[in-house]
Amino acid sequence: MTTVFTCKDLFDDMMTCIYDAWASRLGHANVKLLTEPLGTRELFCTYRHIDAQPDKAASVVRTIRQKISAHACRMVYRAAMSDQEDKLDVIYRFLNLGFYQGPSVLDCLQYPAVMRLFELDRKVSNEAHYFKEFIRFFSYENRVLVSHIEPRSNVLTLISPYFSDRLPSENWMIIDDGRMLAMVHPADQPCYLTALSPEEMKDLSREPDDAFVGLWKGFFSHIGIHERKNPRCQRSMLPLWYRKNMTEFR
Amino acid sequence: MNTTAGTLSLQDKLNILADAAKYDVACTSSGSDRRGRKGFLGNASAAGICHSFASDGRCISLLKILLSNECIFNCRYCLNRSDNDRPRATFTPEEICTLVVEFYRRNYIEGLFLSSGVVKSPSYTMELMYQTIYLLRTRYRFNGYIHAKAIPGAPEDLIMKTGFLVDRMSVNIELPSRDSLKLLAPHKSPENLIRPMRQIQQGITGHRLAIGKDPQMERASGIQYLPHTIFKDNPYKKLGSGKQLPGLFAATDSSSSFVPAGQSTQMIIGASGETDLELLSVTQRLYQQYDLKRVFFSAYVPLNEDAALPDIHTAPPLLREHRLYQADWLLRYYGFHAGELLSKERPNFNIMIDPKCDWALRHLEQFPVEIQYASYAQLLRVPGIGVKSARRIIQARRHGSLTFEHLKKMRVVLKRAQYFITCGGKMLHRIPIEEDFITRRLTCDNSGKNWEISHPETYRQLSLFDDFHIDGDVTVEDSVKTFSGQM
Repeated sequence: MTTVFTCKDLFDDMMTCIYDAWASRLGHANVKLLTEPLGTRELFCTYRHIDAQPDKAASVVRTIRQKISAHACRMVYRAAMSDQEDKLDVIYRFLNLGFYQGPSVLDCLQYPAVMRLFELDRKVSNEAHYFKEFIRFFSYENRVLVSHIEPRSNVLTLISPYFSDRLPSENWMIIDDGRMLAMVHPADQPCYLTALSPEEMKDLSREPDDAFVGLWKGFFSHIGIHERKNPRCQRSMLPLWYRKNMTEFR
Repeated sequence: MNTTAGTLSLQDKLNILADAAKYDVACTSSGSDRRGRKGFLGNASAAGICHSFASDGRCISLLKILLSNECIFNCRYCLNRSDNDRPRATFTPEEICTLVVEFYRRNYIEGLFLSSGVVKSPSYTMELMYQTIYLLRTRYRFNGYIHAKAIPGAPEDLIMKTGFLVDRMSVNIELPSRDSLKLLAPHKSPENLIRPMRQIQQGITGHRLAIGKDPQMERASGIQYLPHTIFKDNPYKKLGSGKQLPGLFAATDSSSSFVPAGQSTQMIIGASGETDLELLSVTQRLYQQYDLKRVFFSAYVPLNEDAALPDIHTAPPLLREHRLYQADWLLRYYGFHAGELLSKERPNFNIMIDPKCDWALRHLEQFPVEIQYASYAQLLRVPGIGVKSARRIIQARRHGSLTFEHLKKMRVVLKRAQYFITCGGKMLHRIPIEEDFITRRLTCDNSGKNWEISHPETYRQLSLFDDFHIDGDVTVEDSVKTFSGQM
């Protein structure tokens, strides 16, 4: 009978879940790992909820770094930020192979688990890259910059180092509307992740009166060459899905 | 000529000068890798970042504007030529700086692309551009990407001074031969175009040597493993000729930079009668002789009525431009030479199939290649296998054999690759390796796509909402009705 280990969709919880599933000694073939919320439950399965324990999570991360590589650890982190259902199970299967084979497992794209981990990593990295490009900030009257995004994967922690480097002496925050999380960066200080209450979300969704919005929209419409108009190419480079919060398409 | 400079608003100026700059192709922000600094605004990332895509599908990475569209030159093809009756405008340096900084803070752009019409004289124009960029780098503390044009005929010291402030510089040659230049751009002489290019190249080489780097620009990663690239077999590369450091760089420290992202240029396609072979040979020579980082092509969009130019209703040759870009990639990433892709007998690209397939079809004796044993260089020459998938194949095959299913997952385009490869000694299907057969198979797949490139907006599927104007706003009642099944 299969035992399903479940946990919250947070990195520490997921790593603890992997630790406990491994340590349960039920056999790799007899366990399955899922993140909550769960969809339809299966028959003939026992479900076991796991809560985060920092020392267990740290130990899993340490083992990945030692037995595979730091690069693999980063890949696992990015894959864990994905919104796909099978991500936790894939990470478990990948570690299964990786702890046995060592760093060279990353090259073995023939193994389904490795290939799937690559795909998850690639998807999340690509999405994070899209948001580096397409995030738009509103500048409030007090020069605070606020941006709203609705990403599929949880990309906040992946894009914040980039923006800290780019805008080191500005006050800015990036808000994930779906997850109600915000990355806040006070000028010249390190940034931090925080959860927002619905009231705070409401306050922060006010659009300020900004003269440069109009200038940018004007520039955007004038820079395209009419004779080469090609909305299809534009759509494939910049999918409609990303345009929701972009200034020039509002 | 309209000289209403005093009365125009910032919005009007921006619109006029963006309109005037949009025919310049280069909008890349790649090649510079610079960390951010406290108190400054911005950084630069090596791969470049596109921030938006305009209605023509081209990326918007930089704030692409002219400093001024007043011009004393009368190049036939140009929108801003002195004959044309156009609204003219000129930015002040402060206006440009404010626009760049405020756009950059909102993450609209990656930096500034500054070009200009020739106001009064080349040196006056270059001086204005230099002042603008100097102001942006110092008082406005801007640390992002800047691409500046070198105005042909500007004095050397101004070009050098600008070079220390910007990431990329470019001189547009526009027309690849002396004759067409004389015909279409009577105020530009080839010498005036080559001189700044040569000078910037010497500056880059001098600075790179001074900070202990290889004098040649870095190229695509992986290309060092290929035996015969245009950069290795370079007849213009002088080996050990005791390069003299220009005095300017003697006291350089490694934190300063001089045009770190290299220089680029652009050529117009279809305004004059050059063949693809001539264009591609010039491109290759520019890479070899002047160590350019990029050569851009721009399909000629007819803007002026002129006896020396194609008719005003000519469609821009988009597919030809596309083929030339594909060939340019083959030169820079895949180790091809211009002479391999085209010859005197076939001076133009086949419009039906891409240059790599075309090459492979004419060299069927080298195919099929076996995925397990083929070298990196051989893999790269297979149509449908790119730099990334070739690298994935090399890594994965060390640990076990690969099947077509694996290749598919590695993003090899089997639609094209299947005719040229074997996995474990077998091809995907039993097919004859004959040029006619494979050409037919490849073109019947491609024709639709080619048609789309050359006719971007002429045909599409009928859509109920767009064509019958059902575009009113969806009300709450409507959405309730859809739920309850009334609609």
